[in-house]
This record gives sequence, structure tokens and C-alpha cells, in this order.
Amino acid sequence: MPPNPTVRLALRGVRDALALPAWVVGLSMFAVGSLAGEVGFPAGAAALSTLLIWAGPAQVIFFGGLAAGSALPAIALAVTLSSIRLLPMTLSILPLLRHRAKGPLLQLLAAHYVAVTVWVESARRLPAMPAAHRLPYYLGFANACLCVCVVTTFAGHSLVGALPPPLAAGLLFLTPLFFTLSLAAGARTLPDWTAILLGFSLAPLFTALVGKDFDLLATGLVGGSAAYAAGRLGRRS
Amino acid sequence: MSLADPLWPYLLVLLIGFLPSEIWRALAVVLVKGLDERSEILVWVRAVATTLVAGVVAKLLFAPTGALAAAPLVGRLGALAAGVVVFFALRRSVLAGVLAGEAALVAMVWWAAR
Repeated sequence: MPPNPTVRLALRGVRDALALPAWVVGLSMFAVGSLAGEVGFPAGAAALSTLLIWAGPAQVIFFGGLAAGSALPAIALAVTLSSIRLLPMTLSILPLLRHRAKGPLLQLLAAHYVAVTVWVESARRLPAMPAAHRLPYYLGFANACLCVCVVTTFAGHSLVGALPPPLAAGLLFLTPLFFTLSLAAGARTLPDWTAILLGFSLAPLFTALVGKDFDLLATGLVGGSAAYAAGRLGRRS
Repeated sequence: MSLADPLWPYLLVLLIGFLPSEIWRALAVVLVKGLDERSEILVWVRAVATTLVAGVVAKLLFAPTGALAAAPLVGRLGALAAGVVVFFALRRSVLAGVLAGEAALVAMVWWAAR
């Protein structure tokens, strides 16, 4: 066991990531790597997209758009719309890390790791930890996820189309299944459960109402505000 | 798109992939200044973010891409329900829930393709 407490905390983050979450997000990046391979993108650029974009839906839109021959500004716009969700996620994580992530550069670095997997796991693990322990744990956890994902992006790129259909379906099912259970594991209060149920039921409704570019944004704002209001009413009574 | 120049794909990742998504994380770093960890607005932001993630799940389940579309909607929802039931039955074990849900889905697609 290393004597330095910071290193020990970071290693605990690495261990918790490798226990399951890193492999789940890693397999979803395997699918992204396959998609990049089908589009004819070089493996190095596919791995770079995982390292820099680090948001599955944005990467799918990016490679899908290139495959469809969409105009580059249109792809950039679609990517930015799909990534708006990173704003509230990052906003809710950074205050938890502030005790040690003080400078703007360190905050930008910490913010870069925010993606759905890292967010759901951090949102439920960090608040229970002492403030000074959070940043090293978070960086260990997030870097382990990112490293696994860069490797699986490469693997997906070279094994494109090699999976039998049932396993390919299981691979794509992993992300929604893991996010659901991870949200359920982190839900403690009534507003948490309200937010989960509203998000799940409003998203298909808003897809029909406002189209697939703005449906998530509308779902988040309407459902999230309703869940927040439900929480306030519950606290008052 | 010209993939002839070997640097072009890397430039594309940087300009129309990285920048349009990273801008929101950078904006959060700017906006978070002066926000208290216990402030009401962060309670609301957390509710919005939770709802968004649940919305992402719903979109992946109701409008799947590629190979997942081989499983019917009822089957996708059923496999998710199996995962959730096992998760709660085995004292909130995420790993057990993931394994149960995956087994249900893969078995179903394999069975349907026979």
C-alpha cells in the first residue's frame, strides 16, 4: 500500500472504476470505434475523439454525420446541441471538487472528464466523502475510465463488424441498462425518483413534439424543474 | 470529405467534435464561480441533469440504432425490467442487475434469430 494518502485515494478511484463502470463505458466506446472504422476514419483519430470529445452521443453524431456526408457546420451544430447536457452535469460536479480544485486550469481539467458515466458515479459517491478526498478519487476514477475507453475504441475500430448480432445488440443495450441502474443506485430522495421517471417518460413525448434536436433539452428543463418543484413542496410540508 | 490529407481527420475531431462539446464544460467552469455547494440553484441543476440522463436512456431504448433494433420494444423494456428487479432483489447490486438484463436481452435476440 503506498504511504501517500493522495495516491491511495486515486488508486481507490481506479479500483472502483475497474470494478464495473469503466468496462461499461469502455464497451460503448468499442461501438463508437466500430462506427469510426465503418466510416473509414483512421484508428488514431477515432481514439483521439474518445480522448478529446469524451461524450458517446456526440461521437456517434460526429461519425454518423461524416458517414452521411453532412455539411461540417451542420455536424458541429448537432454535436454542440447534444452536448448541452454537459453544462448542468459539470455545474453540479465542480462544487464538490472545489476544495482542492481551486485554479481555473485544474477546474477545466476536472470538467473535461465529465460525461454521463463519470457523472452518475461521481454524483452518488462524492457527496458522502470528506471534501479533501474527492479530487484525487475523482481523477483516479475518471482517468481509469478514459484509459480503458481509448483502448476499447482502438479495439472496436479493428474488430468492426466481427460480432454476431445477439452480442452486438447486447453491447448497445449495455449503456441504457447501466445508466438506469446507476441512477437507481444513486437515487435517495423523492425528487431524484421524480426526475428519473419524468426523464424516462417525457423524452419520447418531446421527441414527437419538438423533434430529435431539442427533445433532450426540453425534457431536462421541464422534467427537472417539475422534480425540483416536487422536492420543494415535499420539504415545506 | 477529403481523407487524402493524413492530418485532416485529426483536425476534424478537434474543430467540429472537441470544440463544440467542450465549450459547455468550459462554460460551467465560468458559471460555477460564486455558487455555493448547498445553493438552491444547484439542487435544481442536479434535478435537470438527472432528468437529462434518464431522457438519454429513454431515447436509446425507444429509438435504438443498429443491432439493438433487432430486439422488439417489449423485449428491450422487459430486459430492462429484469435488470431492475434483480438489482433490487440482490440488495441494490448494479453488477448483478447489469448481468441479468444483458443475459435476458442477448438470449432474446439469439432466440428470435433461430
